[in-house]
Amino acid sequence: MLKILIPTLMLFPTIWLSPAKWLWTTSIAQSLIIALASLSWLKWSSETGWSSSNLYLATDPLSTPLLVLTCWLLPLMILASQNHISPEPLNRQRTYISLLVSLQTFLILAFGATEIIMFYIMFEATLLPTLIIITRWGNQTERLNAGTYFLFYTLAGSLPLLVALLLLQNDNGTLSMFTLQYTQPLHLLTWGDKLWWAACLLAFLVKMPLYGVHLWLPKAHVEAPIAGSMILAAVLLKLGGYGMMRMMVMLDPLTKELAYPFIILALWGIIMTGSICLRQTDLKSLIAYSSVGHMGLVAGGILIQTPWGFTGAIILMIAHGLASSALFCLANTSYERTHSRTMLLARGMQMVLPLMTTWWFMASLANLALPPLPNLMGELMIITSMFNWSYWTLLLTGIGTLITASYSLYLFLMTQRGPLPSHIIALEPTHTREHLLITLHLIPIILLILKPELIWGWCF
Amino acid sequence: MADYREAPLATRPKTLDPAEYFNLSLDQRRAEEERAGLRAQLKRQYQMQLNNPHRKELIEDPALTRWVYARTNPYNHFRATKKTSLLGGLFGVVPLFVLYYVLKTDRVWMR
Repeated sequence: MLKILIPTLMLFPTIWLSPAKWLWTTSIAQSLIIALASLSWLKWSSETGWSSSNLYLATDPLSTPLLVLTCWLLPLMILASQNHISPEPLNRQRTYISLLVSLQTFLILAFGATEIIMFYIMFEATLLPTLIIITRWGNQTERLNAGTYFLFYTLAGSLPLLVALLLLQNDNGTLSMFTLQYTQPLHLLTWGDKLWWAACLLAFLVKMPLYGVHLWLPKAHVEAPIAGSMILAAVLLKLGGYGMMRMMVMLDPLTKELAYPFIILALWGIIMTGSICLRQTDLKSLIAYSSVGHMGLVAGGILIQTPWGFTGAIILMIAHGLASSALFCLANTSYERTHSRTMLLARGMQMVLPLMTTWWFMASLANLALPPLPNLMGELMIITSMFNWSYWTLLLTGIGTLITASYSLYLFLMTQRGPLPSHIIALEPTHTREHLLITLHLIPIILLILKPELIWGWCF
Repeated sequence: MADYREAPLATRPKTLDPAEYFNLSLDQRRAEEERAGLRAQLKRQYQMQLNNPHRKELIEDPALTRWVYARTNPYNHFRATKKTSLLGGLFGVVPLFVLYYVLKTDRVWMR
């Protein structure tokens, strides 16, 4: 664990001491080396449930895929920001990359944490750099509103979690994840216990987000600059899923009764957000709402507490992280050329940028969960386990999948096919950097077709 | 009258001019001419920007901007009327209760 954490911390001196000409090259190179080193976590040689552990940090099959995803995303984020940050003064560029690296550090500490209070502190700590990135470097005036919604929704959800965790610490003496699974199941009978149960999960449900409390997500995703959108869609939403999966261990047996409203909200949310996607005019907003839908499926899979549900949830989290981030990068290439997110404005791009169309096509196919991509594997496992939980959920998840396919195709057809507007001239040709960025997103998804065992989690 | 079209490059005879044929008042005709003038000015502005050889950016269409703003900010002008309350309840509240009832019955009593 330390062999990843210390190079990440050493990225700060690299950023601040590199000469201006080499800033981007060195930061991307170092973060890429860290990403490749993080792949060593995937080799699972431990006999116990946890590996690579010291007193405070450890990895297990649940956190390893998310850690690798986080480490993989940092060079991609820096690569994506290179164009729109370059006109700024040097120190501001350094600050921007430092914010991304600090976010990375907090995320590694969060996913690697073995004690739930540490996870909570890192969970909250990730809010700050993201807030600064959204409100300072966003492009429209709505970014302030977006930052406020983002911060206060998540904080309001997580304050009850702090109380719940301190209560648990009081009862159990420790909150270490190593021993959490072995504690006696708590006798949860009173209303206070039910509130405690809800408090444990609310923060993560807001973060995921669940359909009823999802309002912060479209705003934050749309107003954030590209690196902000990437990290939000790919990793920060998964913090919510990861937290839920950790907390589920000790929330039995109340979950059987109390999870119904949340499962229902999640399932209904898939259909509702899918329908909203079909009506969107803003490109990033469409991708943001599709994230809500996919995460609703993940929330449903986690809340029914079956092994296949958990496995499907992890697979879908990783696959969606990569696919959603790829879509945001593609939307950014369109935005950097036309300075508008309106889909109607930037139509017919296939005529002008045909190779980019290939990447749009593959990313849209990943979004609509085409077999044999891991997106389908995750969705199918969740849908199957929910079908086992209750036959009627198939209606909702089936219609949800149909709507997902239709808005993904709508996204592709709107941006790539159709007539090119006659007044669009002087579009820059695609840079190699942009092609590299998107291929680095899509290649892991394709490779995961061949070895999905890496992201199956601990239930298989 | 509806199917009549003059030959290309020819002009209509005065009696078949719609303003005369439908006996529109002078005020309406003046308003019509003003509107035609405004449209011509807008088209001219667009053509000037379209054919400007030094232009590198997109032509900004204020109608598109207003439409996009209206599509993205509906809640500022939201009013709770009978129709909106009915729609909100039908799609946002009732399904949750119906689903709760359906899923609970299926899980608890049917299986």
